[in-house]
Amino acid sequence: MNRTRSGIMAIVALVVLGSGCSSMGVEPWERDILAKEEMQLTTDPVEAAIDDHIYFSKEASSGGRGFGGGGCGCN
Amino acid sequence: MAENKPKSVSAALAAATCSLLGTVPAAPVQAQEEPNWEFNTALLYYGEDNDRVQDLSFNLLARRLYVDDRSLTLGLTVDTLTGATPSGAIRQNVPQTFTRPSGSSAYTIPAGELPLDDTFKDTRAAFTVAWAQPLGRLWQTSVGFSGSREYDYTHLGLNGSLARDFNKRNTTVSAGLAIAHDIWDPVGGAPVPFAPMLDVGDTANKTGSETKDIIDAVIGVTQVISRKLLVQVNYSFSNSSGYLTDPYKILSLVDGATGDTIPRVPAPGAEGPSHEFRFENRPDDRTKHSLYGQAKYYMGGKVLDASYRYMTDDWEIDSHTVDLRLRWPLGERSYIEPHLRFYTQSEADFYTISLVDGVELPQFASADYRLGNFDAITAGLKYGWKTRSGNEMSIRAELYQQDGTIPANLLIGNQVGRETYPDLDAIIVQFSYHFSR
Repeated sequence: MNRTRSGIMAIVALVVLGSGCSSMGVEPWERDILAKEEMQLTTDPVEAAIDDHIYFSKEASSGGRGFGGGGCGCN
Repeated sequence: MAENKPKSVSAALAAATCSLLGTVPAAPVQAQEEPNWEFNTALLYYGEDNDRVQDLSFNLLARRLYVDDRSLTLGLTVDTLTGATPSGAIRQNVPQTFTRPSGSSAYTIPAGELPLDDTFKDTRAAFTVAWAQPLGRLWQTSVGFSGSREYDYTHLGLNGSLARDFNKRNTTVSAGLAIAHDIWDPVGGAPVPFAPMLDVGDTANKTGSETKDIIDAVIGVTQVISRKLLVQVNYSFSNSSGYLTDPYKILSLVDGATGDTIPRVPAPGAEGPSHEFRFENRPDDRTKHSLYGQAKYYMGGKVLDASYRYMTDDWEIDSHTVDLRLRWPLGERSYIEPHLRFYTQSEADFYTISLVDGVELPQFASADYRLGNFDAITAGLKYGWKTRSGNEMSIRAELYQQDGTIPANLLIGNQVGRETYPDLDAIIVQFSYHFSR
């Protein structure tokens, strides 16, 4: 029950954040910095996948950024 | 520099004119789509101390770009794993003998040492394929397949995602769904839950293969805050059902007063366990929720990448992860990137370090250190540079350290002072090469 509530709260938080964001941002001609490769959320997809896999194998958590590491019977 | 000299005066003039006008000379119109491949490759070494797990891994991600922003991405990973891993049994003041998971031989751990199972050798190959394409002006979609195979484990998965831009593309709302079906085919068969470890050659405690199903869902919002700040918030849900036990992990069966493992005598003429060990048993369902936030902030050429994740699940594990990277340019072509990661988790409600003899067994129990209470820190440095041909290379070296505590209420008699969490030190070294053609 507690978990359902926290899930609902997370969704509400996302919606509030989403609607509050409509006044933020930049004009299309102001995207010079955001367009840089180093400003992408995932700059190196292979390194991100490697890290997800290592931490999935050694810790009890996974995912967050995207889907969980997974797909192995890791020891 | 001589080799870069333009071949003719007219070509030099054309190039100079184009650079002045800020345009690129128009490519000849082609009847067919011109493919453009991007390759991300990496060679990784992951090594734990004390002869524990070592992994050498080759990774390739190839992306073919088509017109209209459509793309095909193919991924391949090959891992070669060797080394030993804690079996879950506790230390004793006498040597301990264990039957290997295959049931065909036995191994002995010296007195006072943490029991590690050294039969861990595997090669894993994983393959992914994904197709991404825009749908209209504001929607982006993707579908993908993932599969992996190792000696005792097979994974098959499908995934899809949908994203829409709003507010002059300053806001992106995305949703993704992934389903997977995994098959465990453990060496020697999956053990019956809580079954005793038997003598070499006796397989009465083993069954065949087992399966599990996984559903992952992610919803998220990415928001441009300013010219220099970008943030993302994701909520993810993950449910696994089926066989979630680790078929190779065991627990020591101990005396309720001394905390020492109950001795056992193998059958006459047989080789087998010197003490009583039981295979672990986990619940067959697990639901995880996580909230993830990431920010990228540009500070006069340097870029800070900061993220935080909170995870909670119905095994009562809560975890917090903070990840910080600072990309610091060194001139035009290279950069260094220090990386720090902090992680902490609480133990699963069925985590324990031993089972007590003569007392009714709990419904579930595991002594897997990864379900215990521990903190971890990663510290690393990456150096990246662009080659003259515009390709990118990088090398990173990191140290990963786990430091755990066994809750005092789980320790019985002589276990106090003798049992410690199997701390882990590992190094990660990676060389990456990105190129396109």
